[in-house]
Amino acid sequence: MSGVHDLAGRPGFGPVVREAAEPVFHEEWERRMFALMVATFAGGEFNLDEFRYAIERMEPKEYLEGSYYEHWLFAVEQLLIEKGLISEAELRVMRERIEKRKSP
Amino acid sequence: MTVLKAKDVERVVKLSGSGRIEKDVPPKFKPGDRIVARNFESKGHTRLPRYVRGKRGVVERDHGVYVFPDTNALGGPQNPQHVYNVRFDFREIWGEDAEANAVLHIDLWDDYMEPAE
Amino acid sequence: MGDHDHTAPLPDVVLRVKTLESLLVEKKLVDPEALDALIDLYENQIGPKNGARVVARAWVDPEFKAWLLKDATGAVASFGFASDKGKTLVAVENTPKVHNLVVCTLCSCYPWATLGLPPVWYKSAPYRARAAKEPRSVLHEFGTELDDDVEIRIWDSNAEVRYFVLPERPEGTEGLSEEELVELVTRDAMLGVSKVSAPKGRDA
Repeated sequence: MSGVHDLAGRPGFGPVVREAAEPVFHEEWERRMFALMVATFAGGEFNLDEFRYAIERMEPKEYLEGSYYEHWLFAVEQLLIEKGLISEAELRVMRERIEKRKSP
Repeated sequence: MTVLKAKDVERVVKLSGSGRIEKDVPPKFKPGDRIVARNFESKGHTRLPRYVRGKRGVVERDHGVYVFPDTNALGGPQNPQHVYNVRFDFREIWGEDAEANAVLHIDLWDDYMEPAE
Repeated sequence: MGDHDHTAPLPDVVLRVKTLESLLVEKKLVDPEALDALIDLYENQIGPKNGARVVARAWVDPEFKAWLLKDATGAVASFGFASDKGKTLVAVENTPKVHNLVVCTLCSCYPWATLGLPPVWYKSAPYRARAAKEPRSVLHEFGTELDDDVEIRIWDSNAEVRYFVLPERPEGTEGLSEEELVELVTRDAMLGVSKVSAPKGRDA
């Protein structure tokens, strides 16, 4: 664990940037990711501390550049693989199927 | 894995993830106690951030008994213990250049604290 | 998710989420209807309006306010909001001499039950890094200036306890009903980055 998530007092960050009339979700994939996390968490295979710890195991650069729901994506993929509910091979095959469906 | 059904969404969302445990665990501290936050380098998960490690504060409130994150993050044991709100002066945390007239309130588990003196 | 858009390749993150969802649905580990229900709940039903109702009630009802400050978990549960009532809630009161500010420096813990899902700035690295160290300069960026004799209290939500601010009721709102007061209370005021303003023309 890099400890990059432990941000209090870390120097070098600029102003806090706000968005006027911010929507709850910015993109459809954020909606889906939000629901996927809550639904799988409710499944009872991992607890909140395991979820946070999974996020903390991201590469520091990936962590700092990634958004909130990208952190969630990384952690849910990671935990479901670790718990043996899905495999990297299954993800790869499904991704290829989706990519094929998309190509003209 | 239990599959969440649409009809159960509201009920499940209301109950999940509180971290609270209804268990009679004796508290090691009480409001008013002066404490020092432990100063360890975590190799795994912890909810004791670096900026309070080794700092002195005062226990303000006992929140009750909760699972201990450092062990719960490894899938267990839950190691239930009391969590307290603890107040730290900004000077203690950030030193002489700290912003004036500010305090930090943060929640600490029994295992994150030792009695001061 | 743009199933019929054949014009451009999907960004990696979109493809990964779609892959994960499709796999979990195919393996019957998630129910798509439950996903839709969750999204609807947090996008359309739970939001800062919940917290605004709690604040307005506390402004007009001293007994409720005393309950809220002593046991926010119980006081907020009495509204029956559809969100995580298992979480311990604590309401902290702003006064002329005390200003409270909520942050989660380790991740982005947030009082979902009263405020819904967090805005991007709350989850951002600059806010998490700076709020607990230089709160006055962060507040300045939000247009909130405090006198030197006002004590700032930072609440770092690092445990399973969720904090939200009971803002000061603005002067000039004595004649407003509870329902009218609800409309004045903002999410930012319940996090402590701003104050509640009286409606225009009612300033003291």
